[in-house]
Amino acid sequence: MAQPLLFLSRRVIASSCRRLNLTSPSRIIASYSRITPTRPQHQHHCQQRQRLQPLTRTYHSDYHPSKPPQEDEYSNSQITILSAALSHVPRHGFSRDALILGARDSGFLDVSVQLLPRGEFDLVLFWLASRRGLLRNVAEKLKEREGLSVEEKVRCLVMERLRMNEMVKGEWQGALALMSLAGNIPLSLSELHALSSDILNLAGDTSVDASWYTKRMSVAAIYASAEVYMTRDQSPNLAETEEFVNRRFEDSIAIGEKLSGAKQCLGFMGTTAVGLGRSWGFKI
Amino acid sequence: MRLNHVRHNSTTTSSPQKKPIYQLSQRQREFLDSALRVNQAGELAATLIYDAQKPPVVRSHPHLRPLMKHMYDQEAGHFSTFNKYIAKHQVRPTAMYPVWEVAASVLGWSTAVMGREAAMACTEAVETEIGSHYNEQVREILSWAAEAERRGEELDDELKEMVATFRRIRDEELEHLDHAVENDSKEAKPYDPLINVIRAGCRAAINVSERV
Repeated sequence: MAQPLLFLSRRVIASSCRRLNLTSPSRIIASYSRITPTRPQHQHHCQQRQRLQPLTRTYHSDYHPSKPPQEDEYSNSQITILSAALSHVPRHGFSRDALILGARDSGFLDVSVQLLPRGEFDLVLFWLASRRGLLRNVAEKLKEREGLSVEEKVRCLVMERLRMNEMVKGEWQGALALMSLAGNIPLSLSELHALSSDILNLAGDTSVDASWYTKRMSVAAIYASAEVYMTRDQSPNLAETEEFVNRRFEDSIAIGEKLSGAKQCLGFMGTTAVGLGRSWGFKI
Repeated sequence: MRLNHVRHNSTTTSSPQKKPIYQLSQRQREFLDSALRVNQAGELAATLIYDAQKPPVVRSHPHLRPLMKHMYDQEAGHFSTFNKYIAKHQVRPTAMYPVWEVAASVLGWSTAVMGREAAMACTEAVETEIGSHYNEQVREILSWAAEAERRGEELDDELKEMVATFRRIRDEELEHLDHAVENDSKEAKPYDPLINVIRAGCRAAINVSERV
């Protein structure tokens, strides 16, 4: 009986807080949110504003530059809270505590974590999107190094991206668990696709046929498996993970060679058959 | 959108005679994205159709060799143009790529085996659909140009160049259509079912390629 009432009052206070631009007293609400075991139901208009799918930037052009990925998906106040919360991740993990501490650090009330309808998962997504944005700077540096093939650049970018996770390595298994919850899988996968797509684009890959898909899938598979491998890697400077990544790239090259060999063989047999038919006088 | 473009006004008026650049909305970006994807798929199919038609047609009608080569070369040129656009603007190629490859080769080869007239009817049907589709795209981009004009802005150079390319390619496709009609495409038997099936197939392929 007390639970719904409490919940109702919290919602009323929370929404009035938002109307007053979060300046009313916070302590009461903060203490409530700690004693209620249920996760707060989020305000609907908040959820409506949040797109279900992250906005994918289409048609890239120098005349129409695209913003860093996280700015596409989150509003300014969300970005402030989330960036502050990231500094608490190494100690508190991708948890509600990290979010609340982040909100406090940036001068928001504890309840303002309700601005993030997906809660902890938003923190994970923000981590992924913002690190993905940082890859652009890495790619700028790679451009200065002459003579790197696209292949080598992809490998470099994957390793650089993995190194960004080193800071939260201990907490990463928790993040992976969050990402693998049924409701979170679609967004996690689309973020993984966005990452592999960005890596290949930044490396200057210009495939325009079906290999566009196979390349993205193989980079995504290599990255995702390396991420899991990394959580158990105790070696200095991620040496073991680097070896793992190199082995996976060798594997994918070997598979690619076998497939293209098989395709070439089939094509050769096809043309031979058609040529033979023509030489026998069939009108084909 | 409105705010965005006002802000942009202040940043791009570097030289007095140069107009500010018209900023594309998300919907317009999506339009260009699917337009480039579908055009690339179309040119891929056209290249493969001519490639598959050439040997049987040329074998029974050697005088058509220069025409078939001319049309094939133009389509190959269009295909490489769109490949460059796809790579430059980071557009996703269609997921049906391998399917279109097979379908186009089968279509080209089977119409060519049916005879010169059927092969030309296939060209006529395909180029009619493709030509009108290019027309729609050109019309859409020109409507943006008109809107930009009203606001005192202009399209960026890439878009201007792109619309000119679309027009040139459309004219070349319609030229193929004329060649097909000159070479007795209307004599194909059965004309109506053949043309209608191919045109319906083209429209379906265009719709699918715009999405996936």
